[in-house]
Amino acid sequence: MRVLVVEDDKDLNRQLVAALSESGYAVDSAGDGEEGYFLGETEPYDVVILDLGLPKMDGISILEQWRRADRKMPVIILTARDRWSDKVAGMDAGADDYLAKPFHMEELLARVRAQVRRASGHAKSEIECGPLRLDTKTARVTCAGLQIKLTSHEYRLLAYLMHHNGRVVSRTELVEHLYEQDFDRDSNTIEVFIGRLRKKIPIDLIQTVRGLGYRLSDEPEQG
Amino acid sequence: MRLNSLAFRLFATAAAWTLVVLPLAGIIIYGLYRDDVQASFDGQLRKLVNAITVDSMAPGSAPEAPENLYEPLFEVTHSGWYWQITPLDKPDARKLVSPSLASAILPSPAIEKVVPDVSGARWMDVLGPKGEPLRVVEVIDTLGHEPNKPRYSILVAGPIDWLEHLVSNFRNRLTTALALAGLGLVAVTLFQVRFGLLPLRQIGRGLADIRSGKANTLQGDLPAEIEPLQLELNELIHSNQEIVDRARRHVGNLAHALKTPLAVITNEAREEKGGFGTKVAEQAQIMSDNVSHYLDRARMAARVNVIGRVTPLAPVVEALVRALQRIHHEKDVKISVQCPPDARFRGERQDLEEMLGNLLDNACKWARKNIVLVVEVPPDTGHAHRQRLTITVSDDGPGVADAERATIAKRGMRLDETKPGSGLGLSIVTDLAQSYGGSCELARGPKGGLSVCLQLPAA
Repeated sequence: MRVLVVEDDKDLNRQLVAALSESGYAVDSAGDGEEGYFLGETEPYDVVILDLGLPKMDGISILEQWRRADRKMPVIILTARDRWSDKVAGMDAGADDYLAKPFHMEELLARVRAQVRRASGHAKSEIECGPLRLDTKTARVTCAGLQIKLTSHEYRLLAYLMHHNGRVVSRTELVEHLYEQDFDRDSNTIEVFIGRLRKKIPIDLIQTVRGLGYRLSDEPEQG
Repeated sequence: MRLNSLAFRLFATAAAWTLVVLPLAGIIIYGLYRDDVQASFDGQLRKLVNAITVDSMAPGSAPEAPENLYEPLFEVTHSGWYWQITPLDKPDARKLVSPSLASAILPSPAIEKVVPDVSGARWMDVLGPKGEPLRVVEVIDTLGHEPNKPRYSILVAGPIDWLEHLVSNFRNRLTTALALAGLGLVAVTLFQVRFGLLPLRQIGRGLADIRSGKANTLQGDLPAEIEPLQLELNELIHSNQEIVDRARRHVGNLAHALKTPLAVITNEAREEKGGFGTKVAEQAQIMSDNVSHYLDRARMAARVNVIGRVTPLAPVVEALVRALQRIHHEKDVKISVQCPPDARFRGERQDLEEMLGNLLDNACKWARKNIVLVVEVPPDTGHAHRQRLTITVSDDGPGVADAERATIAKRGMRLDETKPGSGLGLSIVTDLAQSYGGSCELARGPKGGLSVCLQLPAA
């Protein structure tokens, strides 16, 4: 899952990036409005955390331009402006949630999870696929009740596949959603991680769809 | 017309002036007329006495009764017209009198020591033989006008009761005419005052319109004298609104400036395990609660008695419901709204949003399935400034026990620490409602949940 943090306060930006990375997200960050707008415009994010009072370009305009350009990723506004008029303006500009500063990091993380789940169509915080069970709150994966030990990259890959289970996910999509912007995007690494994951979970859960990508499903392979 | 009013002052001074001037003019006119009538009557008497003197004082040994009776009434007994010739040096000598006098004798002004006028005639008012008032003129002459001869008093009297009658008649008519003129003047003054002060009433209506929000400025084509007032007032309203907007902007900037560092401190402190981190996190939380509390108060103080802001309810409610249903999309709560399209709040849009937003947000957090928002507008009683809107927000959540309702509205009180929020929501709603002279009351909802009833000034 890839998250964009647009926040001009350096300390808060760093804290957000740290907390989100720790929770298993690939995080990009921008320190001003223009950079944030550009990243959101060009990269496929699963969630954006957007401050409103930003240098160079304010948050509401950024959001409105994204929505006008048909960028539909969930956006959580994180701002000190906690008046209802600001909230209404933010939601009307196309935000999906609104969190006022100062905030609790756990609450922000919960809201990020909620937006990711919502975007992929899951109602509960636990996602199941066959014997696999992903607890998005604790970032733990169990198989038939036993916890599976995963590295952070393995977790990102599996979590993304589980959020989108039953659907074919292309290699490019995986690269785009699992790694930060400046990561060396060699799609071969995906194959390496898929290989490693297959060793840790029942091998037929991750199906390779030739020429298209991968699919996580507990139903037998078609064709 | 109130005693302490411009209209009364103008009217009273004009009326007082009229009341002084008209009677004074009446007295003067009456006096002049009376003198005039008297003078003309005196002239007539003077002519008669002259004619009689010429007739009777012809050279000879004794005065003769005048032959030509210039006035026929000298012949009629007690007619009021008399003449009388009295020798002054021989008191016992025979008097010549007009037949009308019969046996009566008139008193002589010369004997009564009346001072003669420049022509030598003496004037006196006496009572005649019938007791009728008479005007008497007397000249003293000698036979043939020769000096050192025996002197005679020649006296003519005429009735003056008809004169009095004439004058009093005139006085009555004069009084009536002047009274009518006075009434007319008062009426004209009244009209003048009303008409002249009409623009002031117009200003009063204009200010009421501004207060009720129908207008932003004092409008209308006002007279030159109060046009500067109009301009200044409009400037004042404008700058007042600017000051409020500026204060609001500064407060918003301050909020932004303080809250981000507080968020950083809180997050950093939570990372730091141990006593120090806990302490800092705790204190940062207190600071952040205080910042929210006093920023809300500052915003509130910045807007006390802002004139002329009116907010229609329906768009605000609609926008809030739209935003809240997105924020609380996970709960799938249904918010049903009953709001008359003409409901209007006499106050700032931001404040209304703050109150309704907090109430609806609370309701969304606690409700199971349904939230009902009902806006009631009182029937038009004519007292526009006293009308109250009633807004009720009720949810079907667990509700609040009777004993706890008092504490929940206090600052920073949260009955359930597990739900997010600083707990300031209801207290700021109460404070805001009170700053508008309204109220916020908690009650048990119809479906067992909490029901909050907000009373606010209507427009």
